[in-house]
Amino acid sequence: MNAEPQAIDGDMAPPFSSEPTLEVIGVSITYGTVARGLKAVRDVSFRIAPGEAYGLIGESGSGKSSLAYAVLRHVPAGRVTGRIMLRGQDVMEMTPQMLAATRGRVVSMVYQDPMSALNPAIKVGEQIAEVIRRHRKADRATAWARAVTLLGQVQLPYPDEMAQRYPHQLSGGQQQRVVIAMGLACDPDLLVMDEPTTGLDVTTEAVILDLVNDLRRDLGIAVLFISHNMGVVAQVCDRVGVLYAGQLVEEGSTAQVLRAPRHPYTIGLMNALPTIDRAQARLADIPGRLPDLREVPAACIFMPRCTSARDSCGRAIPTLETVGPGHRTRCFEHDRIARTVAPTPDTLATAAEPDSRPLLQIIGVERSFGRPSRPKLPFLRQRRMVRAVNDVSLDIPQGRTLAVVGESGSGKSTLARCVAGLLQPDAGDILLDNAVIRPMVQDRARPVQRAIQFIFQNPDAALNPHWTVEDIVARPLKLHGIAHWSADLRARVRGLLDAVKLGERYLDRYPHQLSGGEKQRVSIARAFAAEPRLVICDEPTSALDISVQAAILNQLRDLQERLGTSYLFISHDLGVVRHIAHHVAIMRHGRIVEAGTPEEVFDAPQHPYTQALIAAIPTLERKPRRETTRTTA
Amino acid sequence: MSMALSLPALRRRFGVGDVACIGFLVVMVALIAFGTQIAPRDPLAFDPLHSLEAPSAAFPFGTDEFGRDLFSRIIAGTQPTLLVALAAAAVGVFLGTSTGLVAGYLGGAVDETVMRVMDTLMSFPGLILAMLVVVMLGPEPVNVVAAIGLVFWPRSARLVRSVVLDLATREFIDSARSRGESRLFILTRELLPNVLMIIVVDFSLRVTSAILLSASLAYLGIGVTPPTPAWGLMVRDGQQFIELAWWLPVFPSLAIAVVSVGTVLVGERLRRSIAMPGGDRAR
Repeated sequence: MNAEPQAIDGDMAPPFSSEPTLEVIGVSITYGTVARGLKAVRDVSFRIAPGEAYGLIGESGSGKSSLAYAVLRHVPAGRVTGRIMLRGQDVMEMTPQMLAATRGRVVSMVYQDPMSALNPAIKVGEQIAEVIRRHRKADRATAWARAVTLLGQVQLPYPDEMAQRYPHQLSGGQQQRVVIAMGLACDPDLLVMDEPTTGLDVTTEAVILDLVNDLRRDLGIAVLFISHNMGVVAQVCDRVGVLYAGQLVEEGSTAQVLRAPRHPYTIGLMNALPTIDRAQARLADIPGRLPDLREVPAACIFMPRCTSARDSCGRAIPTLETVGPGHRTRCFEHDRIARTVAPTPDTLATAAEPDSRPLLQIIGVERSFGRPSRPKLPFLRQRRMVRAVNDVSLDIPQGRTLAVVGESGSGKSTLARCVAGLLQPDAGDILLDNAVIRPMVQDRARPVQRAIQFIFQNPDAALNPHWTVEDIVARPLKLHGIAHWSADLRARVRGLLDAVKLGERYLDRYPHQLSGGEKQRVSIARAFAAEPRLVICDEPTSALDISVQAAILNQLRDLQERLGTSYLFISHDLGVVRHIAHHVAIMRHGRIVEAGTPEEVFDAPQHPYTQALIAAIPTLERKPRRETTRTTA
Repeated sequence: MSMALSLPALRRRFGVGDVACIGFLVVMVALIAFGTQIAPRDPLAFDPLHSLEAPSAAFPFGTDEFGRDLFSRIIAGTQPTLLVALAAAAVGVFLGTSTGLVAGYLGGAVDETVMRVMDTLMSFPGLILAMLVVVMLGPEPVNVVAAIGLVFWPRSARLVRSVVLDLATREFIDSARSRGESRLFILTRELLPNVLMIIVVDFSLRVTSAILLSASLAYLGIGVTPPTPAWGLMVRDGQQFIELAWWLPVFPSLAIAVVSVGTVLVGERLRRSIAMPGGDRAR
């Protein structure tokens, strides 16, 4: 299928032709009124040559999705100024008919969540054929044949059979391939991909990224690739732009921007990224938070969070200045700025210290879902039993972190919930201090309840929206009788908020007034309020931005060092695990396939699954095609 | 610690709508409390000389066949009409909320059992069920309240349960469980504030339909009995004279309409002031 199987050279300069596929000129997007509107995107310009892949990197609130939608002129709530030229035609000035013709034929979009981008009630082949019929005036048979061809093109096995399936019969990776096939249906010149791999497992992600690269080479399609993950962008894009608070702060070739960034924000992002290559004692987080985009100062927008800021930075908005061939950065001090190498990693003290006796032991825990047997009656579907956790035994030592790593469906969250007593295990025991504890949390003794606390994945759902921060953090103190008098209570709550770097002014706030990172800090404060001995962290940073993730991980490490708390850390992100774990267990299909220290597991993985997992991580260097990870579910 | 009820939006500036709502509530309370005293004439006094008189300066809403002043009767009728409606709505929503909370949170066999009972109750047409109860227990106002409350119970329970089913899967409930909170605490402190605004809206709608239901009962001749000046009763008695005296059914009907719409508007405003921006997805 592929004419040239070699990898695309990451440093290859893209061939510029006279007319770019997409040219964004001075685009600003404002939501709300002119005076107090949210200036989500301000004066962004970039161009994408035919066949080029351009990456837009940004954290939440950077305006990257707004820009993506603006390319399709789909910003119903906002006002767009500036020009967006698609093959020389201004999108903003198109008639509705022209726009309808352009969408799909010239530009099409691949969304983040394939499950919601596909109609669950229509066969996937039909959904693709519909696009073709709509734009090409093709008859049913032709459109269907083309749909099947497209499914083959996105490397789905047995495309004619796949076309007959409904979305729920496909895996997440397969669904995303269907969405990509839909985007390709009318041979567009530009594919806009908004975080296309964010919801996918790392091995599936690798396959999708390979697919995008293949399609670009075979079809010569240009790609606007939007992502928060620099590793993913590095795998696909020729050039990247870094967005911060609605402004393009740096632009250049992928190699320039990711290997030799010249803007303090990009540098900060790179330093905040936990990698599996080395264990860092501390990640460098970016302090502060996104500025209020309703009132944009006439200054460098990054200045309040910048470590190299000078007084002069506050006087004018810096322009994009060229610092290398095609490499531009929006920083006054770019001559001074170069990526300082992260501090030499302290070697973790894990190996040196002898293992103390385990705090918590998990012995032969099993948990299945689904009903075991049903009478065989018509219309009664036999539901297969799924063994989510299958005979898992693990020890969590005192004051150490055990990380359980696995992809979605590996049973790692089920295991965490069994330990927390939120789910009843079918078999097995959980021992705290060598004594068996009751399986369900409500049956456990108060001291046991107090000893084990939980930090949840989704900071939005983990806090009761009708409680203030003070109520939330004070509740465990009251429940466990740690503090009774209101003065004492308040002092303790303040102390806890202090420990997670939230000030007194947060006491009266409600969760909706907090950012994602602040909510997660409140969650941490609540967990530590009970003075626990074990904290179960279920993907505590997967919903957060990289710079915030770094701060939260540092926080967890600091608290552990100070209080000697043990962690059971559940994650899918090997970089995060490398950073925080003293012991690692790799979980797949409910079983532990490999366990050991991070050095053992990451530097010399024994199990083929671990090896595949590590190979699939998108790194900042572009990887050659990964034939080994090609798996078809 | 004030966590049971928190109204952050109340801190915003008061608008015309808020003043109107408060005004409406004050008038209603005054009419319920002092209706008989406020009424310009005795609502029960016969005056054969002025029977079936059209609305005039002396009798703004006209008079009925016995010469009773309709205006005074409507004012005095606020109390028997609204007290029954408010009490019935309160009973129904209270029962429904507790049942819905418990069934939705506990789930499983409890949910199954409770909701099948609710389904059974709901399978009776509301009016028939209420009639059955009032006929069996006798036409005292307390029994009318009980009957209407019984009709509302399963409907409120379904509503609350559906919201709780969604809330119970959220992580803050898991968090409460994992720190060892009792079920009672989770139901009353974690879940209840989150369904409060649904309850408020439900209550305001139930008040309206309780007025109508008690009017229907009165219309059928069960429930409140003459000479009580209940609005529903007045519509019933007045409709036989509709060709002679249109004002007899029209003004009590208007009173019902005004109170119904007003209650719903107040409920809606209250809901918005309780609603937590971004916090409540269930609406």
